[in-house]
Amino acid sequence: MQQFANPTRFLSLANTALPTIWAVTIILFVVGLYGALVTAPPDYQQGETVRIMFVHVPAAWLAMLVYTVMALASAIAIIFRHPIADVAAKTAAPIGAVFCFLALATGSLWGKPMWGAWWVWDARLTSMFVLFLLYVGYIAIWQAIEEPNRAAMIARIVALVGFINIPIIKFSVDWWNSLHQPASVFKMGGPSIAPSILWPLLVMGLAYTFLFLGLHLVSIRSEITARKLRNLQITRSGEA
Amino acid sequence: MDWNANHSGFVISSYAISIVLLAGLIFYIFNRDARARKLLAQFEKTKK
Repeated sequence: MQQFANPTRFLSLANTALPTIWAVTIILFVVGLYGALVTAPPDYQQGETVRIMFVHVPAAWLAMLVYTVMALASAIAIIFRHPIADVAAKTAAPIGAVFCFLALATGSLWGKPMWGAWWVWDARLTSMFVLFLLYVGYIAIWQAIEEPNRAAMIARIVALVGFINIPIIKFSVDWWNSLHQPASVFKMGGPSIAPSILWPLLVMGLAYTFLFLGLHLVSIRSEITARKLRNLQITRSGEA
Repeated sequence: MDWNANHSGFVISSYAISIVLLAGLIFYIFNRDARARKLLAQFEKTKK
């Protein structure tokens, strides 16, 4: 991991990997959307509304995955003082916030025809909303605190404390009586979804993951560039 | 996909909001990256 601590080496690796990541992302989206909109049959209960799952579920997975990445990066920043770790956590937050908002919005669009309500204060929905607030709060810390080291320290604590919410989201449907359906893909005994619906869901999940990977690398690159520029400006003003 | 089925408007809205938000995110991130690289290039040019 230490070899990625050098920003120049990291940028070189990211620039090499990005074209492949974008190519894989496009292929996965084309295949996933074909499966989601063309080959997957309508559900016997949900009808065509089941197709919302192909954008809702991957968005929810990614909202949790991105926050896990942020918490992991924050832990690495505290333990190893890895220079890229804080940048990785900071730049992941806006991407995770968008995925989280998408999960809430598409979930609401599914809830209205299926449950008869846009929103219910159910354990799963509420814990997902808390995740969105954590994202907004984390972004606000970086925006509000001008001194970067202080902002980084507070942001790391928020990311790590907020990580408690991730297992709560995952197990909320098991721990409480919930209107939200229980886990049907990542569960003991394997998935309980028909293969014709499962494979487009998994491909869309991979497509979202690769999209995150590509966007995250570009975001890290721009943050490193911005920091480099800021350091050069400070050096120059010191020389003058 | 039967575009005339019951509730198909909810399906279309879900895909539309996903496309709009993800496209917006992609545009924002690429725009920010291009601006940062342009500013750095300009700064290094004026330094020489």
